[in-house]
Amino acid sequence: MAESGQLTSSTGATFNTLAGSFFRQFGFLLIIAAVFGFFSFYATNFLTGSNLLNIVEGSSILLILALGMTYIVALGGIDLSVGIAFDFGAAFAIVALKNYDLVWYLAVLAGIGGGLLVGLLNAFLVVRLSVSPFMATLGTFFIGSSVQRIFTNGGGPISHRRAPQEFRNLAIGNVSGIPTEIIIAAVVLLIYYLFLEKSIFGKRIHAIGMQREAALVAGINVKKYLFWGFVVAGATCAIGGIIGSANLRMFSPLAGYSYLLDAIAAVFIGASLNRSGRPSVTGTLIGVLFLGMIANGLNLMGLNFNTKDALEGIILVVVLMLAVYQQKAMTHRQ
Amino acid sequence: MNNNTQSMAFDWRGFTGYLPFLVFILMLGYLGYSAPNLLTAESIDLILRQSVPTVVVCLGLAVVVIAGGDDVVSGGIDLSIPAAAVLAAAIIADQLTNHGTAFVPALSMAMCAAMLVGVVNAFLVVRVGMTPLLATLATSVATVGITKVVTASRRINVDHPTIVGLRDNELYGLSVGVLLTMVLVVIFYAAVHRSKWGMNLQAVGGNRDAADISGIPVRRMLAQSFVVASMAGGLASVFILARGSGSSPGSEENLLLEMILATFLGAAFSPRRVVTLWGAVLGAVLVTALSIGFKSIGVNVFWTGCIKGALILFVVATAALATGKK
Amino acid sequence: MVDALHAPSYLQMSAISKAFPGVQALDKASLSVSSSEIHGLVGENGAGKSTIIKVLAGVYSPDAGSIVIDNVEQDRHSPGSVHDAGVRFIHQELNLVPHFTVAESVFMGQEISGPLGVRKRLMRKRAEEFLELSLHYRLNGNKLIRDLGVAERKLVQIARALIDNEAKVVVFDEPTGPLASNEVEQLFSAIRALRERGIAIIYVSHYLGEITDLCDRVTVFRNGQDVAVLAGADAANSQTIIQHMVGRDITTLYPERRKVGKKPMLECSNLSCRPHFSGVNLQVNSSEIVGIAGLVGSGREELIDVLYGLKTAQSGTVTLDGQPLHVDSPHIAVKNGIVLVPRDRRNTGLVLDMSVADNINLASLDEVSSYSIERKKPGKIRATALAKKLDIRPDNVSAIVRFLSGGNQQKVVLARWLATGSKLFIMDEPTIGVDIGAKVEIYQLISDLAHGGESADSALEGSSELAGDDNPAGVIISSSDPTELLGLCDRIIVLLRGEVIADKPVEELTLDSLLALTTGGNVRTTDEPLHSQ
Repeated sequence: MAESGQLTSSTGATFNTLAGSFFRQFGFLLIIAAVFGFFSFYATNFLTGSNLLNIVEGSSILLILALGMTYIVALGGIDLSVGIAFDFGAAFAIVALKNYDLVWYLAVLAGIGGGLLVGLLNAFLVVRLSVSPFMATLGTFFIGSSVQRIFTNGGGPISHRRAPQEFRNLAIGNVSGIPTEIIIAAVVLLIYYLFLEKSIFGKRIHAIGMQREAALVAGINVKKYLFWGFVVAGATCAIGGIIGSANLRMFSPLAGYSYLLDAIAAVFIGASLNRSGRPSVTGTLIGVLFLGMIANGLNLMGLNFNTKDALEGIILVVVLMLAVYQQKAMTHRQ
Repeated sequence: MNNNTQSMAFDWRGFTGYLPFLVFILMLGYLGYSAPNLLTAESIDLILRQSVPTVVVCLGLAVVVIAGGDDVVSGGIDLSIPAAAVLAAAIIADQLTNHGTAFVPALSMAMCAAMLVGVVNAFLVVRVGMTPLLATLATSVATVGITKVVTASRRINVDHPTIVGLRDNELYGLSVGVLLTMVLVVIFYAAVHRSKWGMNLQAVGGNRDAADISGIPVRRMLAQSFVVASMAGGLASVFILARGSGSSPGSEENLLLEMILATFLGAAFSPRRVVTLWGAVLGAVLVTALSIGFKSIGVNVFWTGCIKGALILFVVATAALATGKK
Repeated sequence: MVDALHAPSYLQMSAISKAFPGVQALDKASLSVSSSEIHGLVGENGAGKSTIIKVLAGVYSPDAGSIVIDNVEQDRHSPGSVHDAGVRFIHQELNLVPHFTVAESVFMGQEISGPLGVRKRLMRKRAEEFLELSLHYRLNGNKLIRDLGVAERKLVQIARALIDNEAKVVVFDEPTGPLASNEVEQLFSAIRALRERGIAIIYVSHYLGEITDLCDRVTVFRNGQDVAVLAGADAANSQTIIQHMVGRDITTLYPERRKVGKKPMLECSNLSCRPHFSGVNLQVNSSEIVGIAGLVGSGREELIDVLYGLKTAQSGTVTLDGQPLHVDSPHIAVKNGIVLVPRDRRNTGLVLDMSVADNINLASLDEVSSYSIERKKPGKIRATALAKKLDIRPDNVSAIVRFLSGGNQQKVVLARWLATGSKLFIMDEPTIGVDIGAKVEIYQLISDLAHGGESADSALEGSSELAGDDNPAGVIISSSDPTELLGLCDRIIVLLRGEVIADKPVEELTLDSLLALTTGGNVRTTDEPLHSQ
């Protein structure tokens, strides 16, 4: 796959001036800075301590999903079902609390179990049936969406107003002033960082993502890593869903879908920031915060809901385009 | 050299390739058996009418897949066709109903919008070098966002005579919409399978390097495939309006599901095991027949999404097993 | 420079220079070819032969020099203008669409089109006629490419290049790589048929036996220059050609043969993987180098895949050191000390965008980590020691493997397996795409591996993790180069159509008898001498 993309190389070669190479290296950071400057100037209350904290807190769930996505993309795949794992996490947790009266931590476990189911289905399809990750997770996406509609009789939310306070605190509580959401996301971030960037497992995962056949011949148990990749990603996304459901005290079907493109975009923006063009945990963090900043800024500018959706979509296309452009430019060494 | 040794064993791979087709026929057979009125002329007519939008978007996807190769990740795929179709439908509905525009200018505006989506796709894939999957996923989300602005997330009813006529008028016992679609299919077939352009398009999808050294303008062909696909999406919009008597938000998701299922199912029907126009069209009709069949034997409508999702996986898994892993 | 113009040149490239960042790929190189001539182009990797072909193709524009075709100076040289001047290229890769028919492939990009679209029947007729009349081969124009043999595909490729009857110069770039010997003859007769039609042919190949068989004249490239143009008896003598290629005398390519161990290491009995091979028995002792010979399609590649767990055998048993072993995935093979140096180095041997150090450590990461967290420094030290021992250049282990030469890349693969303490090395085409200098080093290394070599530990005193060096290993070499097998191996098994038809000590084989065995009695004459003693 790495070789097939080389067909487009001839156009990039003209971009060879000093300014060009500077842009290639730091272009995206400049864009981030420019967007930050723009909002600081035009969106009132953007550049305040409490709003910046809002951005970070508002990005927590996306960060968790994007980390799961990072894992899969690092393995050379893509996961279109992160939203489904999110929904299943939320649904299992809320149903465990509401219908089975479980204590909050068992509900959390149930939610993670829901994500595991989604991950297991993906893993089974990809590893056992050798379906491509794209098709497998697309199928999971459709099946998962359908199951939610069946379960809720067409898509009505399941709310649980009397959710225990401990459960609610997962979303709205704080530990000595720092919102719990941020703490959970930070812990997941740290674990992912150690796992994907520092451990020997991470090295093997990256090897699989770069050249699967070569990793196989080097004696890496590729199937095992793919299998656990999807399972762990499913569980991770479910954590996001649990926080989301704790926040609203309800499960609203198909809510996870809105995170899908953002998660993919964050990973690819992050990858464009790396010299190697590889997805990374730190890159994803920056990508998530960047997207969070745009959403927050557009909100503060007081745009109509539909307009904001459209604008966000268009900005995403442009940002992804620039990210991929920069990534290609950097990796196209003669 | 090992041809003679190979022929001794039963050709399992070839058989697995036909499996989706067989299962499909069995399923339709079962539905025909349990809902006997499924095979009446009346319900076949209904199936054809209902399948029209899917058939048209499938034509578009088939062109992209033929040009890009059928590896979904590195090859050709266009997830934005349904979104472009729904955007075009929204524009037409908005213009006809809310602004009193005549049909032709409304359609032209819609076609321009849809083709713009295609042009953006072509730019992202061919110029920037994004994978088609990522590029068209992104434009699809942006397009859905723009559709929301056009419709303010509301349903817009359409009772314009052209649209209604497309559904209700008949010629030689077939609905006008179905006839028009047949004409479209023939045009697409001539372009893709009988013309020089189409042969070159197939060459690009079959082996990009080979096409390149044969002097075929690979990048231009790829770009054209995305624009043609978005045009198909634009044309599908009128059939969407006719089928649903208006534009409703969120209809792109089901269309996407049916489009992918039908197109890749179609590959299982083709003797060369590749995505073809005929396969895609046949796939689209069969998928619709399946939906209607399930409905007529009283299966909960929410289940059909689940069944179709599972079918996609089944089709793709058998295809993966048939081609064999390296 | 030797000037051997005995006929007016149809194509004349003079004093072509081309530099890439850091490399002078061509330095005033010249190449001239006459009509009705088969002109060989040889040189080691990096000598500049592929660069000059790309300059001719218009892919690269030269920094200096001139190209004259049919007495017309080509000043605006582009792929289009080259094509118009009648120059055609038969690329190394079989650039065909598997699901196209023969006729569709021949006319790809130049379809005959009428008012009702492309005229498939006419194209089929023309394609069949051309194949029969010009290439002397009958082929059904409606057959799908994927149902053809490799040689037939090559003929289709040639037909595509020549169908418009405008070709004056045809360049064959390594055309026989994937061909079996009997198929090579088929190709050669097609090429000779072209010569009779007055076409100038440039033939680029690594296989000197083919050059000496086929070519009227030979231009030898070295370090970006044409160092010799050989004709007559010189062009038929591969020893002379080698001398010019290397610039010095190479007397011994292969290391001295040493003692074979008595202890059986790997024993396979009745191994079958239909339809590729069946009933294969194979034994490898410690300190033994066993060669596997066989044509493409003989089951040789699949046997390697089965031994390494890339394919699963249907029946048969494998024991390693007397213990039964079931290998169904490469990681199990590696765990048991069986390692593979694959034929497709760039796709399966290495992770090209990782550094030398990462590639070396990839199979033994456990040893350079604590609590599963990778420790950069010990990893780097270990990789550096191995790189130094194998003389991998550049010696900076942070370099990205993609940019190393073929020989150095191969050494990285070997270094990785040295680091794991392996006991059975399976090497599939170990010197493919490696130039002669590196070949000699790799041969020496293989011999040292098999005999618990000195080369292994001297550089690594104190790092006891590097096991395997004191223990002699077994080596299996699968190769399409019979001289390599004869020079290096202690014993050779020959596969023909999926069956072992010979298992003989190398002393009982000669080049001719080995070739006869691999082709099933169909001996291909060659005058290539053996370089071993």
